Amino acid sequence: MVTKTEETQLERLENQVDNGGGGAWEYLCLVGRLKLRRSEKVLKHGLSILNDPKKRSALGSEEWTLYEQVAIAALDCQSLDVSKDCIKVLRKGFPESKRVGRLEAMLLEAKGSWAEAEKAYSSLLEDNPLDQVVHKRKVAMAKAQGDISGAIEGLNKYLEIFMADHDAWRELAEIYVSLQMYKQAAFCYEELILSQPTVPLYHLAYADVLYTLGGLENLQAAKKYYASTIDLTGGKTTRALFGICLCTSAIGQLAKGRNKEEKESPELQSLAAAALEKDYKQRAPGKLSLVTTALKSLKSNCCTEEMLIWAHHSSDDDNSHATHLTMIHGPIQAQTIFQ
Amino acid sequence: MRLGFLVGVFGVVILAHAAISTIRYRGLLKIMEEEFYGPPANVMVELLLGLVLCMWAALTVPGKFLSIHPHSEENRIVSLPANLDFMIFNHRGKVFPVATDLKLKH
Repeated sequence: MVTKTEETQLERLENQVDNGGGGAWEYLCLVGRLKLRRSEKVLKHGLSILNDPKKRSALGSEEWTLYEQVAIAALDCQSLDVSKDCIKVLRKGFPESKRVGRLEAMLLEAKGSWAEAEKAYSSLLEDNPLDQVVHKRKVAMAKAQGDISGAIEGLNKYLEIFMADHDAWRELAEIYVSLQMYKQAAFCYEELILSQPTVPLYHLAYADVLYTLGGLENLQAAKKYYASTIDLTGGKTTRALFGICLCTSAIGQLAKGRNKEEKESPELQSLAAAALEKDYKQRAPGKLSLVTTALKSLKSNCCTEEMLIWAHHSSDDDNSHATHLTMIHGPIQAQTIFQ
Repeated sequence: MRLGFLVGVFGVVILAHAAISTIRYRGLLKIMEEEFYGPPANVMVELLLGLVLCMWAALTVPGKFLSIHPHSEENRIVSLPANLDFMIFNHRGKVFPVATDLKLKH
């Protein structure tokens, strides 16, 4: 999990390293600890450390972890030669290691020789049938080959054994969302929320899925989960604030024909709208008028069809104004067309 | 930090002194054959002073407080880690290979 403090620290270090200010090793450590995918930078700065004998020997036993990190980054950047060299060095250091065996299999994977990689993973699994990473690699390989149903099947089998692995649940959820199988995705997100109830991003993703599914009950639940996201982040998630507004308007439309007693108070929406306007005023004053008109049109329930589209987009950071604005653009255009 | 520690030690010493004073006072009372209703006022003041000093030291010496609010900067999760275990290599980055002069020299 990357917290706000860690993100700022990472940005600072990244700037420093990119401008030649040193601190490459700290940067690589942080990237490794936060499990981020910065392959190009890891490759560049990791190699510069590894190629410098003085710096390399200063690392001590951490040297091997760096070799592994660089090898994987090189695979991701398709610099197969570099990766091969790194793996060779590791193999020399640890002739019997399973971990290096896994890297070798990953190299085969990156080369595209699927059958050989499969064989390598199977032999690794024979030695240790409960190796979680190898199981996951097999799923990833199915995905890489475009065999999504195979990947789903593999993941489901894997999750029957290792139910507590939330990374796998998340992967499964994302695959289901990509296939538009929202009911199954919702189940996965429920599992994730159960296992890590304090991560706001799962609440947000679950709410997105529920909103996309539609229907009065789902919309009401989505609204609740958007609200819990806001609760957990102190109102700093722009997406959740928009979600509240959209849900309220969608619920309002659905409940229009029915009995009016069930109608919820519009307080939550107006609060969310006020928070959004305040946030935009502070960070993107130029776009404020756009947001205000969009929110107003939402309040008068003009058009929700277009807005539905944005639930499909996934961008979960809290400062991507551009994405949100393209979403908002929808109803305005639609409104003018209808008039 | 150092100051806080010294203050803490001083607080404990004061507390110990207050305890000894009370024991002596009780001994005195026994000799005078009077009832013990509570320590004298100056010992009470000493006791309170010791308590305050110890408390202050205990709160400052071990380090800073960490936030428990889920929305504080240290705890607010802004992004999830990349799912590296499921990383695949035949992505669109394949078409744009990075600088080829990178090499492991040994």
